[in-house]
Amino acid sequence: MATQRGLPQSKETLLQNYNKRLKDDVRSIVDNFSEIIKTAKIEEETQVSRATQGEQDHYEMHVRAANIVRAGESLMKLVSDLKQFLILNDFPSVNDAITLQNQQLRTLQDECDKKLTSLRDEIAVDLYELEEEYYSSSYSLWDTTDLPLCEAYRRRDSWASPGTGPGSAQGDGEELDGPPSQETKPQHHLNGHGTSSIEKP
Amino acid sequence: MANERLRALEEVEKEIAMILQCAGNVLLELSKDKHNASFLDRQLAQFLGSVNKIESELSGQIRYLTQVATGQPHEGSTYSARKDCQMALNRAEYAKVKLGELGRTCEVMLDQQL
Repeated sequence: MATQRGLPQSKETLLQNYNKRLKDDVRSIVDNFSEIIKTAKIEEETQVSRATQGEQDHYEMHVRAANIVRAGESLMKLVSDLKQFLILNDFPSVNDAITLQNQQLRTLQDECDKKLTSLRDEIAVDLYELEEEYYSSSYSLWDTTDLPLCEAYRRRDSWASPGTGPGSAQGDGEELDGPPSQETKPQHHLNGHGTSSIEKP
Repeated sequence: MANERLRALEEVEKEIAMILQCAGNVLLELSKDKHNASFLDRQLAQFLGSVNKIESELSGQIRYLTQVATGQPHEGSTYSARKDCQMALNRAEYAKVKLGELGRTCEVMLDQQL
């Protein structure tokens, strides 16, 4: 396909335009600078009076200096346009940047999850004991059909026969019904099932 | 890496400023009664060197872009990795909040017992 070989017309035109601007601006700077230096040369014979010649030279130098500055500004604009073009169209570097960023983000994610997992392992034992203590105390007002985690684990361990519901270990999450109690019970279940709004008919 | 090319363009910008600085210094020196020839030579050499450097560097960048640019927009993104990372951070934040609540509950119970 011929279109895949060359750049699209707009991109080619744009890059040619950049080349032209570069050449024009550099030539403008060098020419104007050399003309200023030439004008600075003191000439003995002038066609008009010295004052007039001086005024003319002064004005010419002003204009040429302004041209140099304009060409410098135009070069800065060209550099800015090139930077923008590079960021948008330099695919190899964009791909590299995306790969690097993805790598960094995945590393961060893995580190986070690893730390969370080790935290979970560390506090699992303590949580188990806390739950046991809590549900066997007088503070808990849980429904008898609601199984705390420790109780669920105990029953599951003691059940040797299959046929008990698959939701036995998750009975806490699925059998949450009834309104939350008025006691200070910030976490109804510490196993992370926070779906307290599920109601079973 | 992309950053190298962008850094090269930043250097080019500094060179452009240097060009104007050198041109101004030369003209200032010429405006004096007594010129310092060596200073003039140095500044002029720096001016011409910077001009050549800018032209070659920018031509090189434009040539590279001619070879590398296509007409198509780039469709890659880091959105999925960013979202996954954000979720991981949310998980960590949630765990922190819950642990804080648990800690406060235990403290309250202990205070009540005391």
